[in-house]
Amino acid sequence: MKKENSPNSITLEEPFLESFKYPRHVQMVMKGNYAAAEAARLCRAGFIPAYPITPQTTIVERLSELVSEGKLDATYINMDSEHSVFAAAMGAAIGGERVFTATAGQGLFYAHEVLQAIAHFRLPMVVCNVGRPSIPWNIWSDQSDSLSQRDTGWIQFYGESSQEVLDTIIQAYVLTERIQIPVMVVLDAFYQSHTSENIWMPDQNLADRFLPPIQAGPMSIDMKQPKSFGGLLPPEYYNKMNYSFWKAMNKVEAIAEEIGIDFGAHFGRPYSNVEAVNIGPKTRLILVTLSSITSTARGVIRDYPEIGLLKLRLFKPFPREAVRQALAPLSRDAIVAIVERNFLGDREGGIMQEMKRALYGSDYKMYDFFAGTGGKDVPPETIEKIIHRAFQQPEEATWVDVD
Amino acid sequence: MKPALEFLIKDEKVYSGALSCRGCGWSLLVRHLASILGEDTVYVAPASCFSIISGPYPLQELKANLVHTVFAAAPATATGVRAALDRQGKKDTTVVILAGDGGTFDIGLQALSGAAARNENLLYIVNNNGAYMNTGIQSSTATPYGAVTTTNPGEGFKRAWPKDLMGIIAAHNLPYAATASLAFLEDLRQKVEKAKNTKGFRLLMIDGPCPPGHKTDPAMSIHIGRLAVETRLFPLFEVERQDYTINYRPGKNIPVEECMKHQGRFKQLFRPENRQMIEEVQAHTDRYWMRLEMLAGM
Ligand SMILES: Cc1ncc(C[n+]2csc(CCOP(=O)(O)OP(=O)(O)O)c2C)c(N)n1
Ligand code: SF4
Ligand SMILES: [Mg+2]
Repeated sequence: MKKENSPNSITLEEPFLESFKYPRHVQMVMKGNYAAAEAARLCRAGFIPAYPITPQTTIVERLSELVSEGKLDATYINMDSEHSVFAAAMGAAIGGERVFTATAGQGLFYAHEVLQAIAHFRLPMVVCNVGRPSIPWNIWSDQSDSLSQRDTGWIQFYGESSQEVLDTIIQAYVLTERIQIPVMVVLDAFYQSHTSENIWMPDQNLADRFLPPIQAGPMSIDMKQPKSFGGLLPPEYYNKMNYSFWKAMNKVEAIAEEIGIDFGAHFGRPYSNVEAVNIGPKTRLILVTLSSITSTARGVIRDYPEIGLLKLRLFKPFPREAVRQALAPLSRDAIVAIVERNFLGDREGGIMQEMKRALYGSDYKMYDFFAGTGGKDVPPETIEKIIHRAFQQPEEATWVDVD
Repeated sequence: MKPALEFLIKDEKVYSGALSCRGCGWSLLVRHLASILGEDTVYVAPASCFSIISGPYPLQELKANLVHTVFAAAPATATGVRAALDRQGKKDTTVVILAGDGGTFDIGLQALSGAAARNENLLYIVNNNGAYMNTGIQSSTATPYGAVTTTNPGEGFKRAWPKDLMGIIAAHNLPYAATASLAFLEDLRQKVEKAKNTKGFRLLMIDGPCPPGHKTDPAMSIHIGRLAVETRLFPLFEVERQDYTINYRPGKNIPVEECMKHQGRFKQLFRPENRQMIEEVQAHTDRYWMRLEMLAGM
């Protein structure tokens, strides 16, 4: 079934035309972590609590440089831990500042308690997580950290490229300040964080027009109208608080989609919550991916006309409607093969769990493939292996490249 | 008269109806604090009895903003609040942490040390009632030697010495740290005012009466607090950078047991087989005082 490479398949990429693609942008070569830091600069983050952890550290290092170079007017504070980083982020957000920080793996696990608090306080902020798993020490790419925090009430986006990380951070601020729910933007360790890519860097005023200065929200300190924030909330009220959170969360999918389109109108690069590639009635199998594995899969499926791809960009709240729509053209016996770079201690990985919930009642054949936890490489050959194995109707959840 | 010396609070900065037990130190302390700190204050509170005393939603004890935060991280949350206020030009607003001993000596020590070492412009108040009272009297590292708590398997009382928090704090070389007692209101109120008017990280540790936790008569809270100072169990002193000042030198040498005998949590120490523990507390108290005198004399 593998299609021979035709000479046509590469004509689209013409570097010369590319350079005129986005007005009011500068093209640069940049590592993902620096793109994230530059995004925080473009968004004029005002408060940055910092703590080092590989592979995130270069984000906060670059932010420190940006502050000292006078390119970013932010209060930058070295905290004593990620627990304190997130607690300080919470304080500054209640104080009405635009907050940015970054963490990874152990840092995110450590901050778990405060993640919950920030979400329950309905505080706007954007945080980057560079995914790595828990001890035994491992600093490589893995999404178990952020996926394990998916139930804390944070919105989560996963970026396929550094450009997407940069653009998503800008969109995330618009989203978080509109709906008052914190947002985590996740990028892959090393494959993105430390890999240089072409980046289109927008002008500051382009960003300013898209993202106006932060406004005081319902959860900001007002010295003239003192309040108590987060005190004892009796059952009836607690239940109501969750109800209003739930209602807000249910709007996120539509608002995020709208912001992605709006971003396209401003910057020339539209985004959607999910992306369907080659999903039609003749598609026999689709891969479901997050982050940079998507790019590898894109490359592989170019050689397989009967194979499609579903990329998830918004992960939490899970874009149920968009996923259902994306898969609607599939025939009934199409196969859904999910690539997991996470292990959450259960039979199925995090993506499969969400896909099953979203597709409840439909009868796609879904197979879950654990591939590349702890940073193990997922090269095109592994993706091909997954495709072949999925056609053989394996167990519902299996591992590749382990024996 | 200086507001610090107006014990009869005319302009209350708290509403009536604090939800504490009778004879609790927290509510009296906060009432005095608030009367001096005023409304241009943001309070930050980790979990403690004060989280409850300050009122369930939609009630609020304080006539100022109060941010409740997670147990371990009040100084970090306060750091964020401080930074936000500073960025908005509200540099004169006081940011105050109201924490218990558990939230300070134990779970919050790291965040406290971090904020102190950065010399954040924060006022840290620790109401030291010597145990995790809100959860029902469990041992903290502030619990006195020999005190009964609910988490001492075996003998039922604590066999380890409490941490010297003031020593730890002094080691951070701070602009201002002091101890204070509700039985010495003039001293307490002056210290609060001094702390309010000092920039940088300031800490006040207040001896916190707690009738259920200390197994005392609620009517005796202030009397016992006075005895704690008079017996030197709770000395009143200030540390400014490296300089120590003793604020009150008891006239007579009253033995520690005069204070301990009013507190049911020490009852077992008065049994013949444990009496030598009272001697140990006395010796420890005497040495601590001598050390304070030495530091104050330097
Ligand atoms: C992380 C975490 N662990 C435990 C608790 C439970 N807890 C709430 S208040 C409290 C006791 C507080 O003791 P202390 O700080 O001494 O204040 P007090 O109640 O004695 O005034 C505890 C253990 C919590 N809220 N958060
Ligand atoms: S248990 Fe103690 S500290 Fe808590 S409210 Fe009662 S008296 Fe106050
Ligand atoms: Mg206590």
